[in-house]
Amino acid sequence: MPLELGDTSATLTGVVTVDEVEPFAAWLRGTAKPRVNLRKCNHLHTGAFQAMMRFRPKISAAPADSFLAGLVLPLLEGSSGAPIRQESDPS
Amino acid sequence: MNALLAQFLAEAADLLTQIDEGLLELERTPGDPELINDVFRAAHTLKGSSGLFDFPELTRLTHAAEDLLDAVRAGELPLDSGMTDDVLAAFDLIRGWLAHVTGSESLPPSAAADAAVLITRLRTPIGGEAAPEPTTVEPGRVPAWLAYVDEEWLAATAAWLRTTSSQMRFVRYVPDSGCFFRGEDPLHLIRQVPALAHLDVIEPIEWPADHDEYACLIGFVFAARAGAGEIGYLFRYVGDQIEVADLDGDAIQRYLSGETGEALKVAAPASGDDPDLVTEARAVLAAALHALTTNPTGSAHLISVANAITNAAHVLGDPVEIREPDVVTLTATVTRLLGDTPPPEEPEGPGSVDDGGQVGSRILKVDQAKVDHLMELAGELNVAKNSLPFLARAAEEEFGSRDLAQRIRDQHAGLHRIAEDLRAAVMDIRMLPLSVAFARLPRMIRDLGRRLGKDVELVVTGDDTMADKDVIEALADPLMHLVRNSLDHGVEPPGERRAAGKPATARITLDAIADGDAVLVDFADDGRGVDPARVRRTAYDKGLIGAVESRSLSDADALDLIFRPGFSTAEEISDLSGRGVGMDAVRAGVEKLGGTVTLRSEPGGGTSIRLRLPLSMAVTQVMVVSVGGQRFGIPVDLVAESVRVPAGEIGRVLHQDVVVLRGEVIPVVDLARVLEMPCRPDAAADRAIVIAGVAGQRVGLLVEQFHREVDVLLKPMEGLLAYADEFSGTALLGDGLVLLVLNLKEVLGLAARVG
Repeated sequence: MPLELGDTSATLTGVVTVDEVEPFAAWLRGTAKPRVNLRKCNHLHTGAFQAMMRFRPKISAAPADSFLAGLVLPLLEGSSGAPIRQESDPS
Repeated sequence: MNALLAQFLAEAADLLTQIDEGLLELERTPGDPELINDVFRAAHTLKGSSGLFDFPELTRLTHAAEDLLDAVRAGELPLDSGMTDDVLAAFDLIRGWLAHVTGSESLPPSAAADAAVLITRLRTPIGGEAAPEPTTVEPGRVPAWLAYVDEEWLAATAAWLRTTSSQMRFVRYVPDSGCFFRGEDPLHLIRQVPALAHLDVIEPIEWPADHDEYACLIGFVFAARAGAGEIGYLFRYVGDQIEVADLDGDAIQRYLSGETGEALKVAAPASGDDPDLVTEARAVLAAALHALTTNPTGSAHLISVANAITNAAHVLGDPVEIREPDVVTLTATVTRLLGDTPPPEEPEGPGSVDDGGQVGSRILKVDQAKVDHLMELAGELNVAKNSLPFLARAAEEEFGSRDLAQRIRDQHAGLHRIAEDLRAAVMDIRMLPLSVAFARLPRMIRDLGRRLGKDVELVVTGDDTMADKDVIEALADPLMHLVRNSLDHGVEPPGERRAAGKPATARITLDAIADGDAVLVDFADDGRGVDPARVRRTAYDKGLIGAVESRSLSDADALDLIFRPGFSTAEEISDLSGRGVGMDAVRAGVEKLGGTVTLRSEPGGGTSIRLRLPLSMAVTQVMVVSVGGQRFGIPVDLVAESVRVPAGEIGRVLHQDVVVLRGEVIPVVDLARVLEMPCRPDAAADRAIVIAGVAGQRVGLLVEQFHREVDVLLKPMEGLLAYADEFSGTALLGDGLVLLVLNLKEVLGLAARVG
């Protein structure tokens, strides 16, 4: 089971597919201060990633996977995901 | 059906015809920039409007065709016939889909697979299997979306790139919102990009309150050292969703120091300045607005509308990110875009929003059945009007009032004029130019010619000649058979033509002229012609004629043999014609219309076939004759003359009554005997004989009395009378009598049996 949802923290394991997106997003939406453990997560479906960008859970454990850790994690942890130079209204 | 979809289908049909015609024209005058532009624009419009509906395959396939056409337009590659074949095939497939859409409002299940094959073929000439072409920003220009990239990282990278004089490839990837449903996982795609250096996310400006988890609302910007080919391959299915920019350190540095004026322009490639595109974009927006007001439900539909709006906004140079497909936001966005963007320079441009969708309102599309009904009523009115002269006569003879009779006649004259005008007007509605019947031929000639390896040029003249739609429709099949026969049997391969001293490209001419109340269609080729000797031999071999006949037949009569059922001169049976259904089908089809077919041929010099067709089938002119006290109609087309001969001049040859007329012996058939009518001929009186031409033979019909000619509305024999083949139909006469109209071919057959 790639998705274990607790009261305030969730653990994502292995490959999180599109099937997990809906319950995961619902959990994020309904949880006050959600924490997500990505340590054993090997891949995050874009939908799950999007839900995390939307609800900004705290990442309790960084993923071991190099792509997730090196390129995706900074986005999830970024203080603000909003464009840095918003005034240029890029497309 | 959704009104917007219905409109799309109607427009698509026109666009497809336009594309077909344009492509064929292009083959004749390759490289004509105006033509390429027309075809490209039609394809582009089709793609654009298809985006309003949830037909992704349709959009992708038109997109592929459009890209190929675009490359041709830009002069990057010449359009060869292989490409034309592919493009035509693509639009043929689309035509099939649209038929399916008309029925079920969805694409056929096989659409995706069929499209994939064609897309690959269409893509091959313009850069291999890379599917939708990624947009590439011009070298040295900085795309505005670089703003999404973390500045600190950019600064560091710029410094490194300057030091090493190298470049970095930046890609913006904005998946469409429905991509999860197709099993796409954008992040997974990005994960596979080799030498990925940096990833940034494009978030919606504002997250919708109740967003759908399955709608992809985010996009990505990433930087990588992967090759263009690698990127192209990875993103081959979503190539239209990525934009690639190769930047060196200087470019990034310039961007970081704020010189972004140029960059902002790049953000909307191909924008603003092309009035055509702007017009189209505005049309799409107007259509989207319309869709939003009429159909505010269905999330899939909303997503497609949102996509259309995003695309249009992009073209208008005012890009928007619509991440929330809900009616209110979309409506607001569209309204803003329409308000912000001035309409293009040419206000008369079709599709401009100012028309408010009123384009084409001057033409009324009417169900054919209604026109047919109107035609019938106009005919009935004519018949009813014809009863007035009888009434006038009755007033005079039975009631003795000449004044009343005169007034009735005056009324009749006025009514007659109006009724005739009405009939002419209704007939005019039903009139179509012959170009409708000719429309399929250029394509057919091209396709067949390519298959048979023969070069054929079609020259059409007089295709604006008008004829009744029934005639036009019924003409399509005979013409098709003529074309097949001509290409298969008449036109020689180029080598043989050159050897015979003819130009390698054969010429088929199609000429239509109006001739009184008939239309003449001349179909001619300059092929090898029909060899009467060979026709005789073949007909004899096939048992169509006997040995005596084969020797006695004149050349002209021998040529006529090819119209016999079961005749085919092709030595080897091809799948085109030569199944023995060619020319006899032509003759049968034309005769069914009440027309005639004649053939002239010159061995080695070509064949010409003349179709003579009535202008209209709705009203038949008949000559009324009486036999045994009852009146019958004979179609005037068939009547050559009517003569009175003294009884003594009727001779008898081989048990057959004959009459000698200007040196010609004409057999005479006694209609009374054939129709089993009581007949008491006055031995001394002259005989009234109608000379008719039936199936190329002249024959005399002995009748009791001639009457006038009338225009009648022929009704087919139905019900209990349906078996009576000797009549082609019934008509109501002005005095209320029912007139039986004779089918002379059958009557003569009957006469032969009665003997």
